[in-house]
Amino acid sequence: MSENRGMFVDTSVCTGCKACQVACKQWNELEMEDEAAVRNHTAFIGDSYDNTGHLSSTNWRHVKFIEQMAPTTESLDRSDPRWLMMSDSCKHCEQAGCLEVCPTGALYRTQFGSVDIHQDVCIGCRYCVGACPFGVIAFNHKTGRVNKCTLCQDRLEADQGAACAKACPTASLTFGKVDDLKAMASARVKALHGRGQTDAYIYGWDLGNSGTITQGPNKGTAVQDVEVVGGLNVFYLLLDKPEVYKLPAHAALPQRNFAPSAGVALISAAVLGVTGLAAFRRRRIEENATAATPPAAS
Amino acid sequence: MPDSYVLHPEWEWPIMLALFIAGVASGAYAAMGLIHVAGDRGDQVVAHRLAFIPLPLMAIVPLFLIFDLGQPGRFLNLIFRSPGAAERGPSPLMFNVNSPMNWGSLAILIFSGFALVAFLDALHHSGRLRLAWLEGIAHNIGFLAVGEVTSIVVSGYSGVLLNVTNQGVWSDTFLVGALFIVFSELSGLAVAAIVSDRMAATRTSAAIRVAFFGAAVVSAVVLVIFLVSLASDGVALRALVASLLVGPVFWIGVVGAALLVPLVLLAPRARHLPNGQLAMVGVVVLIGVLAFRYAMFYSAIAFVQS
Repeated sequence: MSENRGMFVDTSVCTGCKACQVACKQWNELEMEDEAAVRNHTAFIGDSYDNTGHLSSTNWRHVKFIEQMAPTTESLDRSDPRWLMMSDSCKHCEQAGCLEVCPTGALYRTQFGSVDIHQDVCIGCRYCVGACPFGVIAFNHKTGRVNKCTLCQDRLEADQGAACAKACPTASLTFGKVDDLKAMASARVKALHGRGQTDAYIYGWDLGNSGTITQGPNKGTAVQDVEVVGGLNVFYLLLDKPEVYKLPAHAALPQRNFAPSAGVALISAAVLGVTGLAAFRRRRIEENATAATPPAAS
Repeated sequence: MPDSYVLHPEWEWPIMLALFIAGVASGAYAAMGLIHVAGDRGDQVVAHRLAFIPLPLMAIVPLFLIFDLGQPGRFLNLIFRSPGAAERGPSPLMFNVNSPMNWGSLAILIFSGFALVAFLDALHHSGRLRLAWLEGIAHNIGFLAVGEVTSIVVSGYSGVLLNVTNQGVWSDTFLVGALFIVFSELSGLAVAAIVSDRMAATRTSAAIRVAFFGAAVVSAVVLVIFLVSLASDGVALRALVASLLVGPVFWIGVVGAALLVPLVLLAPRARHLPNGQLAMVGVVVLIGVLAFRYAMFYSAIAFVQS
């Protein structure tokens, strides 16, 4: 039985109220992304009720607004809109790409199974930024270091849950032991399927659920549980394909390329070495041939 | 093929220049080692002149890395374990075996030692410093072999590092490490060509010319395999065609300057190059290798924007 702590994000009950975003900002004392833009009323992205647009070094939680207007997004027909909401953050992967590549030990696995950052050890090399398959970890230009959700490590050490889950008014975010959350998620999917909402499935763990999307542009498409990078300690109940939520369907560890890349690189170096040695050998052979050739009679 | 929901690590020109310079330094060391091992007594004067090059270049590399990191002290966390990083074990040295950046940092540190020995040996042979005892070490075949291996790691680790990400283009194939090695060695032979040509070392230049041509052939082959491996993936191909590897820089710089120029001018049946022209080819190839670094670095940004 794993003692890992994590979060189950049930997107079917998220209303996009952003209380989780506010709680995260407040508890972690995260500053404004761009104070000047806020003062000039240009901080909002302008084409959605989504305000921050993405996760960043000062937005460790972000509520995604996915607005599907039938039949296409370009159409002026707003009669059958579908809004999908998803409170996004670090997934605290079981196999974390950021942690694997960190060259200083700044990223580490906590006693709760989450992934945290030692700010004093981080050198700001940004390798983790390029390695994270979810685009979660972000560089902070002010501090020259990286930031992301810590699963409220300080609160966990005080035996409290994550601040965002505490603030969620619809229980879209549930904090707890991952094994308990998986059982809860499985039961929730079955309950939704029982009510005819067969689009529900789990992103992060394969709990054996499958269904069919009932609304939106992907209506009729089959979906099933998706397990990525060994499982996610923060995992999701989704109602459409992962790509709709800007989640990778095939998230992978960056280390998959390490051994083949190093192996092929060494082979290429060996080929070059042989080429170089052959060049000098060829000169020697040509010089010997020239020396062995008798001078032409005059 | 990873999905493109990742953030770019914002590695830009300081890192690109650092890796270009480190690549030229390690390539020059590899060329020096090749001449020491495969050349005869008449070639050694070129090898000793080449030995002056890696150390000063390696001294420049950390300046760019420190400029990028913002604080000089931070660079040390790559080598020595910070007290705050106790979870990874008690060793005072920082080494994450899964991180190509750690392999590269260690390789740069060790290679700089080999570059220092080569530099001092070159000073000895130039008569500016009496270090006769050093000759036995610097020319020892085992010492040279280990130095060559570290130079190869310095040449290739940054390519492997780009492979070990989730960035478009970089991680869509596992050939970036090989590409970085062949282009580093190409730049090293370009430097050797410049040095031998400027010294009017005709015999050495003749052998270097053949090795240089061979390296250009290998580089072209690896580049073609790289492009084919990218083209096998629809998304990567779209990015490639949209902006490949950042347009004219790739086609003029990499294909033209780094590959076609040596392939055409140094081919076995090409005309004899008068003095100075082999050096000119070397300069053009160095510019081409810089274009290669640019194209590889900015291809991931181009991919995100495509």
